Amino acid sequence: MSRDRTRDATFLVPGLAWLVVFFAVPLAIIFVVSLGTRDQYGGVLLDDLGLRNYLRALEPDFLPTVVNSLRYSALTTIFSIAIAYPIAYWISRYGGRRKTLLLILVMLPFWTSWVIRTYAWMTILRDNGVVNGILEGLGIIDAPIALLNTDLAVVLGMTYGFLPFAILPLYVSIDRLDPSLVAAARDLYASGRVAFWHVTLPLTMPGVIAAALLTFIPAMGDFVTPDLLGGAQTITIAKVIQTLFLSSKDWPFGSALGFLLIVTTIVGTVGTLRILRREVIG
Amino acid sequence: MSDHDRMPHPAGTLARSLAEERLTRRRFLGRIAALGAGGAMMPLLAACGGGATASPTATPAVGTPGPSGPTPSAEPTPTPTPEAELYVYNYADYIGEEAIPSFEAKYGVKVTYDFFDTYETMTAKIATGNSGYDVTFATGVDVPGFLARDLVQPLDLNLIPNRVNLGSEWQSPAYDPGNAHSMPYMWWTTGFAYDTEKITEDLTSWAALWDARWKGKMAMLDDYREAFGAALIRLGHSVNTTNDAELDAALALLQEQKPLLRTYTTDDIGVLSSGDAWLAHAWGSDVYQVVAERPSVKYVIPEEGGIRGSDAMVLLAGAKHPIAASLFINHMLDAQVSAANTNYIGYMGPNQAAREFIDPAILDDPTVNPDKAAVDKLQELLDLGPDLQKYQERWTRLRAGA
Repeated sequence: MSRDRTRDATFLVPGLAWLVVFFAVPLAIIFVVSLGTRDQYGGVLLDDLGLRNYLRALEPDFLPTVVNSLRYSALTTIFSIAIAYPIAYWISRYGGRRKTLLLILVMLPFWTSWVIRTYAWMTILRDNGVVNGILEGLGIIDAPIALLNTDLAVVLGMTYGFLPFAILPLYVSIDRLDPSLVAAARDLYASGRVAFWHVTLPLTMPGVIAAALLTFIPAMGDFVTPDLLGGAQTITIAKVIQTLFLSSKDWPFGSALGFLLIVTTIVGTVGTLRILRREVIG
Repeated sequence: MSDHDRMPHPAGTLARSLAEERLTRRRFLGRIAALGAGGAMMPLLAACGGGATASPTATPAVGTPGPSGPTPSAEPTPTPTPEAELYVYNYADYIGEEAIPSFEAKYGVKVTYDFFDTYETMTAKIATGNSGYDVTFATGVDVPGFLARDLVQPLDLNLIPNRVNLGSEWQSPAYDPGNAHSMPYMWWTTGFAYDTEKITEDLTSWAALWDARWKGKMAMLDDYREAFGAALIRLGHSVNTTNDAELDAALALLQEQKPLLRTYTTDDIGVLSSGDAWLAHAWGSDVYQVVAERPSVKYVIPEEGGIRGSDAMVLLAGAKHPIAASLFINHMLDAQVSAANTNYIGYMGPNQAAREFIDPAILDDPTVNPDKAAVDKLQELLDLGPDLQKYQERWTRLRAGA
């Protein structure tokens, strides 16, 4: 019995090793850097370690950026799941022989660089871009609507980008649902809507949670989309970190913000999983 | 001059193709890091394989032959034997078509010419001390800083006789007296540009960028020295000030402006060409390319003054091919090569001898080649050393704040 457990435990080693080397160690490095200060040329000085950068991070100056990050990530997650659920449901229930092909089509955009796809959105949303061109051509508007450099553009771009992340876990969860349970509900005089709300949705909740996490967490860290599609006012915490590393060359402060972002994400994720596991999955 | 006749056709067609390709010199393509890193890995791997380092032959004789005026093309005598390879790191689309091929043909050196996606990528890479590159193009204001960090080495001026071609004001710029560590490459001005079809009045002052009538239709450069420079000039201060009170006033002014802006970007070309911005903080030579796509755009050096700067070729400290690098720098200072570069990219060079070969349309274009009166109004950005932190810290607060 214990030999089996040791053998099973050894299968964890590669995963744990990867986690330690590529996650725990860099996290430790970031934390150490965040305790330091920058030198005059943008290097890192570690001779005077302290928590000053964390105190600076809590200044009210940065509150709007945190709120922006949370807002965009939350909206992106909600819209992604709202769009992804019907797609995943359809593929699972009605995909038939073509399920695999449909899933490949969902993942196909990832074969193109994220940045290039975001640039494509710029072309679509610009004042002289595709959308405005069509609207003006049809006579619906006289002057171009400002679509690019707005909150709308950022949420649109992020939702588009993270949609496959939402579709796949939802698909897995929906696919595992036993259709006879839904049939049983219908037999008991439940309408389609009631059956969905009381049977399908609760049973696929793990998939919804996974999709939510897989969308929310990367969305919090996305600095590309707000940078390219956003404007002067759409600054997120990720963009501030990027500015600190590249332009302001204040690596310790950037590391402090990054570390705070990671820690709050981990705490939030673990907490959410704990609560929902208890209440939803049982 | 037969060479002159065969040169690229004047501004129109060139600028059009450039505008369509979108000159990326000042564009913040940070995220194409994957492509950039891939491309940049090559010289590192190749360098590991070992480039042949030729031992320099006897140092060539001092002095350029005869004439004291600028000579269009001079070579060090006796011509030293360059190494077999050269690694150059530059912005994209920032060199003429023939500059590298003519150099390769002349000296038999194989040149690996890589692009960096953003200036910050380049500074980060060379800060390691062994980037694998020999020559790169630094903004003039950064040269003293690089020197202080031992990232660049002194030039052997004997190998660069073409330096006499430089205009008199470039023989000893403030950032590098005597051009001991760098050679000027191109210079540029910063002001603003606006679409005369959308904004029918005549704009002449920096105050235009703070005008609430153009709310949501303005863009500022995503560059803290430039942005603070604009605010400081408007307040009547030096763009190189380190006075905290003056900088705080500039920050307050920029914070006032922020809600009126559509975006901060280094893609001034894109934002003006597409019409996303009717009024934008812009680099003069970039506007040259916007005009090809949108002729109603006009560049202005504001009455309060603007900024001028330059890029310089530097020889990196760990360069494995210093002779080839010096010959390359010399080649770029050749009058005809410099003129061909200017004609192709639309930036003005510091090369006096090159003027006779430069396309007259460019020489007469005030956005690329402002006259002396305009240039005198401009301030040059200087290296601020550790005081740069004052700007960077306020920039973070500006960008992060509401």
